Amino acid sequence: MPDFEERELVERAKEDPDAFGALYDRYFPQIYRFAYSRVRDQSLAEDVTSEVFFKALRNIKRYTYSGHPFSSWLYQITLNAIADHYRGQHGEVELEEGASLPSGAPNVDDEVVRRDRSRRVWSAIDQLPRHQRAAMVLKFGEDKKIEEIAQIMGKSAGAVKLLLHRAVERLRRELPPEFEAGLT
Amino acid sequence: MTNDPELEQLFQDPAHREVVDLLKLSRPAAPPLDPNFRTYLRTKLMTEARRTLEPRAARRGFPFNLSPKALAPAMAAVAAGFLVVLGIQIYLQNQSTSSTVAADLRGIQNKTNVATAEPIVIPFSGPIDKNAIAETVVIEPATSVTKQWVGQNLVIIPDHPLAPNTTYTVSLKPRAVPPTPNPANPTSTPRPEPAPSPVVVHFTTVKAPVAPVTPPSYLSANLSFGLESRLADAGTVFNGAWTPNGQLLVTRPAGQPGPGSSPSPSATATASGAAAPATTDIWLMSTPSAPIRLVVPGGSFPAAAPSGGVFAAWQVTSSNKANLGIWDLQGNSQGTIATLESVPDRAPVWIGSDRIAYINQGHLVIVDVHGGHVNGRAIRMQRGSLAGSSVSSLLAVESVDGSIVMDLASGSLSSLPAGATGFAWSPKDDLAFVVPQPSGSYLYVATGGKTAQRIATSPSGQTWSDLNWAPDGASLMLAGKPVGASSSASRLMLINADGRGLRDFGFQQEYSSPQWASRGDLVLFTRQDEAGGRAFWTASTAPSESDAAQKQAMAEVDRFMQARLQGNSTAARDSLDAAGLSAYQGGASSLLSPAGSKYDRYYPVTVQLTGSNPNKFLVGVRIFVSRSGVQRSFFEEQLTLILNDQRYLVDAVTSTPAVALGHGPTVLSVEIVPADPGSQVRVRFDADLRPETVTTDTIQVRGVDGRPITTRIAFDADYHLATLALSLRPGTYQLVVTTGVTDINGVAMADEYHASLVISR
Repeated sequence: MPDFEERELVERAKEDPDAFGALYDRYFPQIYRFAYSRVRDQSLAEDVTSEVFFKALRNIKRYTYSGHPFSSWLYQITLNAIADHYRGQHGEVELEEGASLPSGAPNVDDEVVRRDRSRRVWSAIDQLPRHQRAAMVLKFGEDKKIEEIAQIMGKSAGAVKLLLHRAVERLRRELPPEFEAGLT
Repeated sequence: MTNDPELEQLFQDPAHREVVDLLKLSRPAAPPLDPNFRTYLRTKLMTEARRTLEPRAARRGFPFNLSPKALAPAMAAVAAGFLVVLGIQIYLQNQSTSSTVAADLRGIQNKTNVATAEPIVIPFSGPIDKNAIAETVVIEPATSVTKQWVGQNLVIIPDHPLAPNTTYTVSLKPRAVPPTPNPANPTSTPRPEPAPSPVVVHFTTVKAPVAPVTPPSYLSANLSFGLESRLADAGTVFNGAWTPNGQLLVTRPAGQPGPGSSPSPSATATASGAAAPATTDIWLMSTPSAPIRLVVPGGSFPAAAPSGGVFAAWQVTSSNKANLGIWDLQGNSQGTIATLESVPDRAPVWIGSDRIAYINQGHLVIVDVHGGHVNGRAIRMQRGSLAGSSVSSLLAVESVDGSIVMDLASGSLSSLPAGATGFAWSPKDDLAFVVPQPSGSYLYVATGGKTAQRIATSPSGQTWSDLNWAPDGASLMLAGKPVGASSSASRLMLINADGRGLRDFGFQQEYSSPQWASRGDLVLFTRQDEAGGRAFWTASTAPSESDAAQKQAMAEVDRFMQARLQGNSTAARDSLDAAGLSAYQGGASSLLSPAGSKYDRYYPVTVQLTGSNPNKFLVGVRIFVSRSGVQRSFFEEQLTLILNDQRYLVDAVTSTPAVALGHGPTVLSVEIVPADPGSQVRVRFDADLRPETVTTDTIQVRGVDGRPITTRIAFDADYHLATLALSLRPGTYQLVVTTGVTDINGVAMADEYHASLVISR
């Protein structure tokens, strides 16, 4: 959706329920996906997604365009909702069962190997510190620009670059050698 | 992912590029998604969006905008007791003025889970006669309220917390502004106004926790962290203190919005009295976060008395001095007891409910509630800890010259270990404190304020502070943090009163300053927020798995009752064993509602463990019966549940006659609490009562021979709570509440109330 169209839709959504519904239709998949990637629990991802859109509805009249996509605002709310949840619950994300660091690729066909590597590398991302994890998910999972990630996370672009750099460096160190060797 | 110049630029090291390339080829797996969830959430959002987003102009065109003629049948239905359908706006036209008065009931009509301290807000539009409308407000069950207008909103504030589990009916008569005489014909007489049609609002308050009559009971040692919620954003509440009935007194910046008002300070509801030239006010709040009323303009640092429904606080005077005053929870001043040159930076401290301690110019001052000095000793104090017992005359003081316990009754002093600080008194009169060490803290408890014993030592490198007793006195909450760390590294922990069982309460750092609510269901604490400020939060407490048997039995009761409410006979029978089925078939009670009526809702009144191996529970449930959509009566069943092959089934039932609603007060719950000595039977009502009608003649506990057992009775009018103190041996007793009990309007209970009390140990 072109930028001006999105802005117009957002403005209409401040008074028009149907326009808000259109925003929901557009952004539900990525917000739910992002929430799930952070909490790894379907029920919790549903709760977070619900909270995000209700908060957006309650506050949309106060939303003002700041040069960033509307989705940045929704991601911001999502991050806060997740942070709030973990403050109240378990402190850290529980990993999915068996999501330990990769320990070697199984000897099966290439596609299965690729999928398995993909799963393992994302499992490894799950184990990164939370800010690094958020930056990595937004960059590699949601294809966001660094400037937008900075806006979402309330950090400078330089800080986001540092987070990404540290995360990649940590993955490089922690992924087993045979895992990387399998790439070449 | 296509080539991303940002990544190309950021990762030029070949080793990093390999990882990045892998990530570019990988995508996180699509998350599992319930296809119904997306639609369900959209539906909910759109309903809310239509309620909140549509501009006012659009709302005026609401399809149910009823003319008086069209409204007549609806109003007749209201008069006949039918519920007003949720979501309509009621327009009442005063024919003599042709002006339209609209009461917007959408926010409250048929609302459930209404907080017991939540103000009732009814917005109006049109030229209304505010005084006339406010005078017509009637609330059932009888409840004393304060009425305020905030703009066009009528804000009805219960003077005491509402009863839980109760459906309230508020009726009032909207009235337009009286017509002004015609200037062209000043002698003309306005036509007589037709009798206005009443607006009737129904709402139901939150469910209360089931009050167990016998163990398993509330034990703080078994509690864990439940859910937390933000009481207020950082900077909007400076400090807070619980009242004995579970409300909060907080210091807020001056000019905060009140109930029912817009965020504009100009719309702030104000209590009587001129605002002092100060920057803070004291408000009464309900949890989770609703301001109820401004109680002390210019006030700060409130401290609730252990009993009596009053609190002490500082209030800035017009000459910038500080008055130490006492107010009731309505904000009515009960007197000024001291005046200081400036506002202290801590709350006054109650000792029992009749003495107050504070620090003035480096010295401890103790006064009675009339301002008379109690203690003549000169005790030097600066920033040390100061705490008073709620049940005796003991005061713990960290003075410049050492830490001591003062007994104000005998005048005696006793020393505490050197360095003792962070005092906290339990409801059992035990004093807890810490003694800081170079690498940690020692935790002491002095039983009855005497003979301090070290009960625990913090892990090396960790300090303890912010001690706060659980209301049952069985455990302590405290804040722990690494030695030398800032409060942002603080976390809450629980420890048993004997020093064992140290464990986390909550799982995050940043928590400190815990305060248990008196019923033990909530903890107030502070937490660093995202912006670095400190915000007040509340956390609920959750029972441990050790109460699993009760939980399991209650879950079965809920399944059984839900099936009955839905009229599902097959599902209801599934919760009965052969004896239980026989009891219902034999007429002990009616499994489903009789024709023409409906089982509308239920709630558990009591749960009693009456046997073990296998466990046997006696569960009292109250079932509300409606006709034509209106709740008319209730009756109670005593269900006996027995564990049978890992599942609880209803084995027996007895039932009471139906009690009509709306005909005087009713008993809301009965609870037996172990006390020292003996027991307490707590009987809670749904209405404000005439205190003189609550006596040992009108509320009795009778033995098997029918004779009343000797009791003493106390009545807390704020909480509609009668407490009988008595000594009961194991056995079966009968609680009888007679029709001599009347509400504040003089209406007696419709019928005597009887309940079985089983004391198993």
